[in-house]
Amino acid sequence: MIECSNLTKIYNLGKKHQVEAVTDANVVAKNGAITVFVGPSGCGKTTLMSMLGQLLTPTRGKILVDGEDITAYSDGWKAVFRRENVGFVFQHINLMPNLNAVENVMIPLLAHDVEPADFKEKALNLLDNLGLAERSYFAVEQLSGGQQQRVAVARALITEPNIVVADEPLTFVDEASARTITDFFGKLREQGKTVLISTHVSNLAKLADKTYIMKDGKILGNS
Amino acid sequence: MKGRLKNLLNYSVNCILRYKVRTIVILVCLSVAATIFSSVAFMKDGLARDGQLSLKYAPDLTVQGIVAGRQAFIETSNIGIIRGIGGVNDVVPRIWGYGNVGNNLLVILGIDLRVTTINPAEPYPLESGVFLNPQRNNTVVIGKAVADLLDARVGSILTILSESNQARQYDVIGVFNSESSIYNADMILMNINDARSFFKVPDDKVTDLSVHVTPTDPGNYVPLLDYVAREISGRPNVRVLTKDVLLKAQETTYGARSGFFSVVWYIILIAVALIAFNQTVVVGHESKFEVGLLKALGFSTSDIIKVRLMESAILGILAGSIGLTFGIVYDVVLNAPVLRDFMLGWAVLYPTFTVPVYISVQTVLLAYAITIVPILFATVIPSWLNATVDPDIAMRGARA
Repeated sequence: MIECSNLTKIYNLGKKHQVEAVTDANVVAKNGAITVFVGPSGCGKTTLMSMLGQLLTPTRGKILVDGEDITAYSDGWKAVFRRENVGFVFQHINLMPNLNAVENVMIPLLAHDVEPADFKEKALNLLDNLGLAERSYFAVEQLSGGQQQRVAVARALITEPNIVVADEPLTFVDEASARTITDFFGKLREQGKTVLISTHVSNLAKLADKTYIMKDGKILGNS
Repeated sequence: MKGRLKNLLNYSVNCILRYKVRTIVILVCLSVAATIFSSVAFMKDGLARDGQLSLKYAPDLTVQGIVAGRQAFIETSNIGIIRGIGGVNDVVPRIWGYGNVGNNLLVILGIDLRVTTINPAEPYPLESGVFLNPQRNNTVVIGKAVADLLDARVGSILTILSESNQARQYDVIGVFNSESSIYNADMILMNINDARSFFKVPDDKVTDLSVHVTPTDPGNYVPLLDYVAREISGRPNVRVLTKDVLLKAQETTYGARSGFFSVVWYIILIAVALIAFNQTVVVGHESKFEVGLLKALGFSTSDIIKVRLMESAILGILAGSIGLTFGIVYDVVLNAPVLRDFMLGWAVLYPTFTVPVYISVQTVLLAYAITIVPILFATVIPSWLNATVDPDIAMRGARA
């Protein structure tokens, strides 16, 4: 379970162009549940997701994972935490250019003490489950936006993380891919994973076990 | 941990292959710098080593006549006086200059073997034939380069043209070995009377005197040499050259010439560093994004630095190896065209002269340092700066 209290992020703190992107956010995301953050563009969803996924250090507030305060982790420990526990799906997809789909899926394994070749079958199965079996060896530049995002989902899951953080995963995705990805998130919940999704798409919001509404960096309420 | 390191190494190799243009530009620039540096350094070291070897055969002191500050013939009357100085073992009068064989200007040296007690085979080791005999006129022993140049060997007849346009013929009775090529490679050695006749030098004069000193206690060599040099220098119209002075003159000559190339090399190195840095900046956007993404996917800051270190080391070592190989091929196989003429200044005299090349561990390590250090600075530092910020900030910064 992930709990955060009074989570705040101020960019350019103390400088002329200081921006308070998230203010005093209090969130509880249970294991085996999908927690969705809904709000207009620029409301601070991505910043909040980044803080929850340990991609961004909060200006203040606390983050507890299964009761352990991880806010004050060092940079090295945060890297270990991300490596062992978190899978990311980004709004901008962020695949590595000049690599094919299955190579992209296997990148997170390079940071682990494993032989990536032993996980190739698993990577191919993930791509197959996401409807990309025939595109596994295509360079990412040859894939559509929706296909690329499905590759990114496979990449997030190759290390079997407990927490999946998906920031606007359907923004650049066609309808068919959106359906596949949405169904996939449902399966992750069945597997007991903690799924955090930010979105403005109603399809994904329907999946939510808990929904937080955001505006101007603040959580207005939850349901 | 081994598995992780192997994975990071694989990723580094993958980066090198992915950023093809940057890889090629950096490899070409660093290889060119390493080639220029190594070819000059190998040749300079070879010349320095040859110079030191030649000193093994050089006299302890060389005494020249001096008039109005310029070198002149020295009176033979000095021979007996110098021989009388305590510690002086031998004084060998020499007459030397230049003569034409065909279109080649070569060094001619005449020594007086009748007055020397030293073993002639020691200072002038031979590859073939016999050494000069003071009783046999019109005979010569020639250097290895001269033999190669003129396709001459023991038994050949050498026709040398003097300044007075008189052609004289000499029998080749020996060829020097090439252990110290710089010392005797272009030399034609003959009896002093033949040289006197060839150069038309008056009977009471010679070009210089070779002075050999033997201390009773070997530990007193330097003080004795200083003493003898001081004694000789006290005489009028005389100057004394020690081995050190000769070596310094040689090193200064080649050092200055290689120094010129060093300046060129520094300019190239700066250009290389700028190009490498520029390439880093060009891919900086991608690189910054990549660093952020890798950190998001579980790579730590030290993983990122390891990746970049390995990438830089691979590129630097590869470029250094290519540069060293080209440098060796240029010097040893191609005999250093252009550079040889510049460094030796003997292009006309020595068309077949093989440049002395000395490949020292120090130079090889320096060549690798030259190719590795700039690329390390150009790639690792920006990556380290990117890797120390939050992954989200790095990726946003790259997208901005």
